[in-house]
Amino acid sequence: MSILEKLKKISHKEPGIRQFCIQTIRFKKFLENARALLDLFNDGREKALGEYIFDRHYVVSLIDRVIERLGMMVYDASVLVPKNGETLYAMYDKHKLAASNLINFSASGNGGVKSGSDASEISLSAEPEYQLLSDVLRWFDGKEVPADTTVMDFVKQTFFYVIQFDAIGGFESSDSMQNRNLFENSDVLSSDMGIYLVDLWKDALELPEASRSVRDFNSVPLRHLLMDVGGREATGPKKDSNGIPWVAAVSEYQLSLSTLKPDCRFRLETLASGYEQSDFIFIFADKSAGLDSILPAGFHVESTDYGQLAWNLDVSAKTIEDSLMIIGRKLFN
Amino acid sequence: MTKPLEVLLLDDEPIVGRRLKPALDKIGCRVEVFQSPTEAAARIDEKEFDIVVTDIRMEEMDGIQVLEHVQKTWPRTKVIMITGYAKVDLAREAMGKGVFDFIAKPFKPADLRRIIFRAAEALGSPIDSSLLNDEPVAQ
Repeated sequence: MSILEKLKKISHKEPGIRQFCIQTIRFKKFLENARALLDLFNDGREKALGEYIFDRHYVVSLIDRVIERLGMMVYDASVLVPKNGETLYAMYDKHKLAASNLINFSASGNGGVKSGSDASEISLSAEPEYQLLSDVLRWFDGKEVPADTTVMDFVKQTFFYVIQFDAIGGFESSDSMQNRNLFENSDVLSSDMGIYLVDLWKDALELPEASRSVRDFNSVPLRHLLMDVGGREATGPKKDSNGIPWVAAVSEYQLSLSTLKPDCRFRLETLASGYEQSDFIFIFADKSAGLDSILPAGFHVESTDYGQLAWNLDVSAKTIEDSLMIIGRKLFN
Repeated sequence: MTKPLEVLLLDDEPIVGRRLKPALDKIGCRVEVFQSPTEAAARIDEKEFDIVVTDIRMEEMDGIQVLEHVQKTWPRTKVIMITGYAKVDLAREAMGKGVFDFIAKPFKPADLRRIIFRAAEALGSPIDSSLLNDEPVAQ
């Protein structure tokens, strides 16, 4: 089949699956940028402990990198939820201004050590570079600052704009029947389990022509998620009264698992490449989903008014694999 | 008693000298701190230091020029460069000109102490290795 024929097929017959793949991949980029922000926060906190020699350039560079990464995250969010783009960019501009004020305030000499001070008399907290870093850390995630003014508040807010939208098929999450129809009409139902399976790269380019099964997919995280639930529908994900309740979008190392249940939101994203610095598991779920009973040890969990967020970063391949097996068992058995 | 290692420390950011001097004093170095490259160069003309630790990026005179000045004046002196951000080209140039080693900001004082320890060995004036504990300089 020529490329033109493939494109015609994509554009005329199944734009929904392609859109779903693009949204899923974009959501992964969004998570990567959020993770990079957390790494920058941690880097700043580590340097503030007093063991490191750093100068003003380091702190200014840290601020610049946070603003740059925040901009990438806002861009991803705006692609995922265009209707919130204007609001998000307005909030982002406020943070750019806050960053600029931090840099300019410190450059004007405020909070500096008086000239002629004896080095032995200067405490760490009086050093202007440490003061600046301390102000920056408060801007990142200060507990004592007014609500909704920190970068972390903004990150969480952005998260919920994205999560509430739900990237499945690019539809509002409340329209679950439309989501189900999208997958039902696309021949992506697994023949051996009650789950829709989407190949993130292949299905975005070409519609499936033959029936598929879990065994056909060479996906490390999917294999581990379903390892303990057997290869039969009787022990794996099952069809409920509303139809098939799960959709898994996969590539060799990526898995995006979402529920299609009308009264519940659950989304698991993972990268299991074997490279510890980039691998992660991230989960968002409604409070009613009972995350506490699903998660293995080691997860960072945050409860909010919108639901629960849980993640595990910088973990070994074995920990990721074991965690996925436990989660799969708890979800599907 | 062994002669203390004479170290000139040059960085235009005052915090670097303020925090590094006590850390190097602890291992028996005699440290003179400068923020101005021209003042440091004038001092180098007057006195032979065992080790010069210099930032690579400064306003009046960069670290490469300081390195060249030291090598011309006191060929035995070891020069250690402190590098900042994305200064790969300058670092490569300095490597070709015979800099002893590099250290990238942010760093721990113990990291610099280890380099100074090696430089002292190369100079034939080794430092007692028991002094190389990783102690924070926070007060």
